[in-house]
Amino acid sequence: MNPYESHPARILEVKDLTPREKLFTLRFLDEKLNEEFTFRPGQFVIVDVPGFGEFPISLCSSPTRSPIQLCIRKAGRMTKFIHGMKEGSVVGIRGPYGNGFPMEDMEGSNLILVAGGLGMAPLRSVLWYALDTGRYEHVWLFYGTKAYEDILFRDEVLHLLKHGSAMNCTVKLAYEIESPSCIYLEQGFSDRVCRGVVTDLFRGENFDIENSYALICGPPIMYRFVIRELLNRKLSPGRIYMTLERRMRCGVGKCGHCVVGTSVSMKYICQDGPVFTYWDALSTRGLI
Amino acid sequence: MRYVKLPSGNFEDFFNSLRGIGQIYGPVKEGKTHHFRRVEEAGEMDLKYTRTMLPPKKFFVRPRERLFSLEDGWWRKEGDENPFVLFGVHSCDVHALKILDRVYLSEPVDPYYAERRKSAFIVGISCLPDELCFCKSLGTHFAMDGFDLFLHELPDGWLVRIGSVRGHEVVWENARLFDEVSDEDIANFKAFEERRAEAFKRELRSEGLADTLDLAYNSPVWKEYAEKCLACGNCNLVCPTCRCYEVCDRWVDAYRAVRERRYDSCFMESHGLVAGGHNFRPTRLDRFRHRYYCKSYFDPSAGFNCVGCGRCDEFCPAGIEHVKVLDEIRGSLE
Ligand SMILES: Cc1cc2nc3c(=O)[nH]c(=O)nc-3n(C[C@H](O)[C@H](O)[C@H](O)COP(=O)(O)OP(=O)(O)OC[C@H]3O[C@@H](n4cnc5c(N)ncnc54)[C@H](O)[C@@H]3O)c2cc1C
Ligand code: SF4
Ligand code: SF4
Ligand code: FES
Repeated sequence: MNPYESHPARILEVKDLTPREKLFTLRFLDEKLNEEFTFRPGQFVIVDVPGFGEFPISLCSSPTRSPIQLCIRKAGRMTKFIHGMKEGSVVGIRGPYGNGFPMEDMEGSNLILVAGGLGMAPLRSVLWYALDTGRYEHVWLFYGTKAYEDILFRDEVLHLLKHGSAMNCTVKLAYEIESPSCIYLEQGFSDRVCRGVVTDLFRGENFDIENSYALICGPPIMYRFVIRELLNRKLSPGRIYMTLERRMRCGVGKCGHCVVGTSVSMKYICQDGPVFTYWDALSTRGLI
Repeated sequence: MRYVKLPSGNFEDFFNSLRGIGQIYGPVKEGKTHHFRRVEEAGEMDLKYTRTMLPPKKFFVRPRERLFSLEDGWWRKEGDENPFVLFGVHSCDVHALKILDRVYLSEPVDPYYAERRKSAFIVGISCLPDELCFCKSLGTHFAMDGFDLFLHELPDGWLVRIGSVRGHEVVWENARLFDEVSDEDIANFKAFEERRAEAFKRELRSEGLADTLDLAYNSPVWKEYAEKCLACGNCNLVCPTCRCYEVCDRWVDAYRAVRERRYDSCFMESHGLVAGGHNFRPTRLDRFRHRYYCKSYFDPSAGFNCVGCGRCDEFCPAGIEHVKVLDEIRGSLE
């Protein structure tokens, strides 16, 4: 087995989610692999565009459903290239990599998902998984976006905003830039939609903290504020999970790019993570 | 361990017998420095060397290597493994290879590295330290495994420690070249090793080093050194345990592409840069400190990520000395 070798997969569908992000639905050419491929929410794959390069992307679909989906933001050279690819084209996929969220350990508890921007992608996998399996007490999704146009998976999010309570799911949205669509939403769901940042969504919410886990994904700056909010509510650092990003080349602990920490504890984001607890962050310098 | 003696007069025959395994690489002097080079005759080597510029890692993690080539729209694995002999590897470099093994041979195994490790026959050789060596402080001045044969200098030949089945086979096939070890040889071996242990001038205080460094995260000493450092990355290239690599796809002509990897350095600004321009180690200070934290990472089962070879000192254009930096950091806490 060559861990650097990717498996050809066909792009079944390309969907525009926002002006910057597209959703790619993929199926391996090898049928056996389609059957065997499984993963846990929070894991990622390395996408290979032969001749152009590779880049890591979180799986944004859930292992409870197939085929697999990736939400890719046009951020640079290679992601721009794949944005130009059409349905029917073939790319390479290797993985899944990383540890993912410990979904089994959290069964029977409340899940507080906190997403900022593109952080919604890996958390969508958790959300679907939780709703599909029904193994969790209650699921909150706090989602902070810049503007209405930036809401990823907008149809799904708005559907859950309206009908989530039937599935023990509460969705809350914070936006920064005012627009008619946002004002309209805010009028309809004044208790769950507001102008502001994601931490504003915590206001008025009472969690059974002893029986809750928080799962956070967003831009580096967001972690500090969200974690402060959770610690104020006395959530244990061991129950706060976050998924982190670093430059990655190999995905399997060899290339050294994703290494963080100091002499006492060094961690590979690609293998020891990308999911870490806040306790890991307290004991490993440079993690967040 | 099994021991035999190689009398001086049989050295050349022994060297020649290794040709049966494959191409031989050994330390050759060029100008002021030594390099591992292809050698045809034993006489081309300078076995009384202190350190080569690039360590033996270059045979296993190559400065630049092809992983795949693109043919008919998909990747084909590259690789050209022929058995070879690395002659005259010092104990610190043997230890360094073991550190690389922990990375590259842990699951999932890097097949390129693993194939080369299997293809290599390693002959270690004893050495004497110069003023830059501090392997003794790290326990890497003597190798107990990680080689096929290890030669220790005796007044009239070499005491040979046999470290592997393959090493044993080579000795067995050339039994006529070797003698039994005599009491006198043992006494000489012991005397040499004792003399050698006393010859170390530089010492790294390694007790509690990992925690000390972690506690000294904000020490002003880091800043002083980061200002001297040229961020050239030489220290990474010559370090036998540094192993970061970058990958890129390159078109050889209009129809064929290759995927290559090459050495990378944590001193380069791009090392921690991700899409959108966010850099996880934006300043030279961050990067300088990171290298020391990486080299002084303490793995309870295996020790530090530095073997004390002194290469980073010898080849640093800014004259930055590894042990001195660590001592001053420690001092800034006391
Ligand atoms: C675990 C993980 C999960 C991720 N999940 C997702 C996801 O679900 N969706 C998503 O959209 N993104 C995700 N990302 C981010 C994604 O990997 C990046 O957006 C992607 O790699 C960008 O690649 P690119 O080629 O388009 O950008 P590049 O052109 O490679 O740019 C990447 C950055 O590196 C810099 N850079 C690149 N090469 C060099 C060089 N040689 N010298 C100097 N600077 C250089 C660029 O300036 C840029 O800032 C994830 C990342 C990780 C680590
Ligand atoms: S850090 Fe310096 S002394 Fe230590 S192994 Fe690397 S090059 Fe040798
Ligand atoms: S060799 Fe010296 S100057 Fe160059 S990056 Fe290393 S410490 Fe800095
Ligand atoms: S991505 Fe290569 S070591 Fe983590």
